[in-house]
Amino acid sequence: MKSVLPLFRCSTSIEHSVKRCQISVSTGSDQVIVQFFCRHGITKTYNVRFLESEALQAVFASHLCPNVLKSPARLLGDMVMHFHASQEEVTLSMSAPKVSLRNYNEGRNDHMKMMHTEMSLHPDEFDYFQAGMDSDITFCLKELRGLLCFAESHCLPVSVHFGTPGKPVCFSVEDMVLEATVVLATLADFESRGPSQPTETPAPTTHSCADAAALPVGIHETQSNNLQVLPDVTELVESSQGSPITYPPVLMQLQCQGDSACAGMTPPSSMICSLLFEAMSSEPGDDDDDGAPRLPVLAYFSDEEDYPRSPSL
Amino acid sequence: MPLSTQSQGDDEQYVLVANLDNARNLSNILKAIAFKDHAIFTATTNGLKVTVEDSKCLQANAFIQAEIFQEFTIKEDLVAFQINLTVLLDCLNIFGGTTTPGVSTALRMCYRGYGYPLTLFLEEGGVVTVCKINTQEPEEPIDFEFCSTNVTNKVILQSESLKEAFSELDMTSEVLQITMSPSQPYFRLSTFGNAGNAHYDYSKDSDMMELFKCTETQTNRYKMSLLKPSTKALALSCKVSVRTDNRGFLSLQYLVRNDDGQICFVEYYCCPDEEVEEN
Repeated sequence: MKSVLPLFRCSTSIEHSVKRCQISVSTGSDQVIVQFFCRHGITKTYNVRFLESEALQAVFASHLCPNVLKSPARLLGDMVMHFHASQEEVTLSMSAPKVSLRNYNEGRNDHMKMMHTEMSLHPDEFDYFQAGMDSDITFCLKELRGLLCFAESHCLPVSVHFGTPGKPVCFSVEDMVLEATVVLATLADFESRGPSQPTETPAPTTHSCADAAALPVGIHETQSNNLQVLPDVTELVESSQGSPITYPPVLMQLQCQGDSACAGMTPPSSMICSLLFEAMSSEPGDDDDDGAPRLPVLAYFSDEEDYPRSPSL
Repeated sequence: MPLSTQSQGDDEQYVLVANLDNARNLSNILKAIAFKDHAIFTATTNGLKVTVEDSKCLQANAFIQAEIFQEFTIKEDLVAFQINLTVLLDCLNIFGGTTTPGVSTALRMCYRGYGYPLTLFLEEGGVVTVCKINTQEPEEPIDFEFCSTNVTNKVILQSESLKEAFSELDMTSEVLQITMSPSQPYFRLSTFGNAGNAHYDYSKDSDMMELFKCTETQTNRYKMSLLKPSTKALALSCKVSVRTDNRGFLSLQYLVRNDDGQICFVEYYCCPDEEVEEN
């Protein structure tokens, strides 16, 4: 990309001086030939060498996604505008009454220092709203910003297709002359299903406030007195190259699925201790609600640098 | 003008006196060739020529005709000295570079002769500064033996189009290749950088092409590092002539209009980059 982008950026008056651009590939000499036919009889030819590489294929059926949003790029652009330029990841939550976008921060150690931003929209704001299932997906904001910038400049609507966390999210724009699809991986974040479960209804704002008061390990109480265990991020996200999926240790997977289960719980600190011991000795399959296979933890959360980022395809 | 009220007696001792109402008319053009610290000043009755050289392969000359000066008096046929161009430019801009309309720095440049410093009297808004810059023994400028009779190819272009090309040149390329030909591609600038090759073709029918006289197809390469300083002169100019001779030597001549609309010339001579054949 770096060798091709400057060709199109270099002239400030490129729209005025270039009459036609022709791009061709010469397989014989391994070169991409970009030619600009400019005014005043000037022709600029760039021969850029390329290397053979395998393209990543995103195997993703967007039409099978339970959740679909469609809106003018402007709407999504206005949503992401509120996040700081350095915000790397955001979480998009879909539940029947609304859609919300909030910033996602790894490493829940600095709750008091971080600024939490959340924006919620009513389904009516969207051109098309389909909530097949409640879901919170976390993905890279940077790539989305890039696509939105492009879509806004062309006034194109953006479609968002997604499903469960861990499965990719697809952003697409379509026009008469072009079609662009951006498939992003999402964090396999089981616990973030907590607030959007039909059985629990804590207001998202209190969820974040509760975050602020949470213990470093991540167990906290929401207003409705449900204990939720939020993960320290250690999971690797499923990538198209098929790298192994790592699930966090047992203690992180416990969820409280209803008021009854959580009422009268022991204080969080003793809860942690008992869970920790459990994690060390338990056999797989006992406590896991969703029955997902448990693989040994490959990397522990010791370093900030080890926290993986959601890769984009 | 205060500077011209100097007593006549002072002028007697100077072999060269040059007055300019607007020092920028000199400093701007000198900036276009100031890629090295030292310059050779050669003054004749025709005017002033300032020469800067690099690696014995590149030579830049700035010509400021006597008519540009409000007064230009020379007592000998030829007056030559070498001087630190960076210091000279700093002195010419001593009142700062502000371009307030109507306000300009007046210059009186005096030289007594061999061994004496170059004296500059600069005045702006009633304030006078006197600078004396040491001069050195002038080196003989290189004679590239570039004469019009040996010129094989010549084009004159409007600077605007070349300015764009030069600003976009791939700097990772060590050489700039210039192809001039009576047939396609007529006039081509090529670079060979890390990412690939780039070619800028100017058609002979282009409305940017004011003159096109190519007799044979020639392709020559010149070190990018040598030609890079010429972009300053290109930026100031409105027209540029590109000539190559039978040896592949390059001559770039820039037509520069100063603040008062008067014409000055800057020229660059460059040796071709010899490719060492490895057989």
